[in-house]
Amino acid sequence: MLVGVFDALFLAALSAAGQTSAPRLPRMPDGKPNLTGLWQALGTAYWDIQDHIAQPGPFFQLGAIGAIPPGQGIVEGNEIPYQPWAGQKKKENFVNRLTLDPEIKCYMPGVPRGTYMPFPFQIVESPQNIVIAYEYATANRVINMGKPREASVDTWMGTSNGHWEGDALVVDVTGLNGQSWLDRAGNFASENVHIVERYTLADPDHLNYEATIEDKTVFTRPWKISLPLYRRKEKNAQITEFKCVEFAEELIYGNLRKQTK
Amino acid sequence: MSRRLLVVIAAVLLVSVAVAGQTPAPARQTAPSSRQTTPVPKTATKSWAPPKTAWGDPDLQGTWTSDDSIGVPLQRPATIGERLVATDAEIAQREVNITRQSQADEQEFAAPNARAGTGPPGHWGERARRPSKQTSLIVDPPDGRIPALTAEGQKKQAEAAAARIGAGVGGRPAASWEDFTYYIRCITRGVTGSIFPVIYGNGAQIVQSPGYVTILHEMVHEARIIPLDGRPHAGPNIRTYMGDSRGHWEGNTLVIETTNFLADKTGIGLNGGGTPTSDALRLVERYSRTDANTINYEVTIDDPKTYTRPWKVAFPITQEPGYSLFEYACHEGNYAMVDMLSGARAEEKAAEEAAKQKK
Repeated sequence: MLVGVFDALFLAALSAAGQTSAPRLPRMPDGKPNLTGLWQALGTAYWDIQDHIAQPGPFFQLGAIGAIPPGQGIVEGNEIPYQPWAGQKKKENFVNRLTLDPEIKCYMPGVPRGTYMPFPFQIVESPQNIVIAYEYATANRVINMGKPREASVDTWMGTSNGHWEGDALVVDVTGLNGQSWLDRAGNFASENVHIVERYTLADPDHLNYEATIEDKTVFTRPWKISLPLYRRKEKNAQITEFKCVEFAEELIYGNLRKQTK
Repeated sequence: MSRRLLVVIAAVLLVSVAVAGQTPAPARQTAPSSRQTTPVPKTATKSWAPPKTAWGDPDLQGTWTSDDSIGVPLQRPATIGERLVATDAEIAQREVNITRQSQADEQEFAAPNARAGTGPPGHWGERARRPSKQTSLIVDPPDGRIPALTAEGQKKQAEAAAARIGAGVGGRPAASWEDFTYYIRCITRGVTGSIFPVIYGNGAQIVQSPGYVTILHEMVHEARIIPLDGRPHAGPNIRTYMGDSRGHWEGNTLVIETTNFLADKTGIGLNGGGTPTSDALRLVERYSRTDANTINYEVTIDDPKTYTRPWKVAFPITQEPGYSLFEYACHEGNYAMVDMLSGARAEEKAAEEAAKQKK
């Protein structure tokens, strides 16, 4: 009899909604969406979070491989509301990016840059803590899902406190040290930045990501980025290792190497 | 609209969702001055079982530290023989060392004529709260010493000793960053080096999800992602510093098997020191929670290209009030590397100048 009631209500839901049933999301025993898995962004926001055309890269020897691919941006409205001094600084960052971009030195990418790097990241969700382990530079962070804790010190990956709003994971990020960039084009925020992220499963394999970025010392108003994240579906897909310090040592310390005569 | 109907459906079906897993007991409130000693780890007794996560796995979650085993040598002094438990006199000496270290660390100024150290500030240091009674971290072989090296192992050991200068070790000025350990270069300390107790940064945070265990280590911000679903290891050409881990439960014990290591990088030792291990290295770790605040950690090291037999290290890790992991932005803050290399070049230049003066 209960099954019959279920069928009746289900059919009612279908006809009332006038659409196919919503995809069944993976859920934890307590009903919260389960975001555990290996995720990665597509697109080229890691080069430039705004719309950008194809351009030559810094080393002609790499030909087409070394060129910068085109892409649509992830900034809502495509405009980043810099204060005048900050807009100028962004231009200087861009001109000097080979020496200034922290990614080149294998420094941790910070938030939100880690989300759209061309590397996957693993989410491991428990009710009390959610780990995000980025393959790039073995950067990682733990989102505290309990009572919010203040940042005790500024860090590269910030202090993250999370809670659920319905099926959306909302993460409040403070305590970033302002030393990472937002992309390879020199977009940046300061140590005063406050970021609110939202992770929402559209279906089991697509995670909609949004981040509202607020920094009264750099921007004239809050602004937002959004992009979909894709579940890595290969059989036994797993994070591997990109410990890139070794690839940056010659660049950083090369001038201090003993010269053989 | 459809969501509200689904809620109604759930109510009609009277589905009862399992109550979320039991909350682990609060961390032990031990006064810092009380010097209880840590018992030598035994296999988990049947009288205490860990709580379960909401999905039915044994719950090992929390932030754990190996602080209580700080100061226990990896290898037992040969004079002690097969005794794993320290005598009262040896424990008393260990406590004296801890007190002396605390006093030295709390000095605000160096004494006149003292050699000013370049070590970390005192408040960075972590201390044993219940100093371990073990004479060594190695519990097998019975003499508590690293087994004999193979011929290949001896060769690697000799090469490493000649090449590496390490931190604070005297000798020739470093030619480049390659003369330093992987830890000093801020690359990694390897799997065992990330949990063996040292002077600070001994935190390990365990987070579990259905099908996964994650172990985060403070130094060097490692995140070991360990699938529990029985999938095979990655292929033999996928090799990493931290290896490829697969976990499963044996009763309430988490067993982690790790293979696919890069060859000739870190060793099995504090901060990843020791003879560099080969691509044949296989680690089997066991994490057994024996009470609310203690996990017995055990690792069996099997590298037939380096060691003539497998060997085992074991010590407890504990939860402590207020203890947490901090971000260890090692590479981003590696001023020491710049200082050591520029110092080496300055020493060479000074030596050249002095040689020119003599002519």
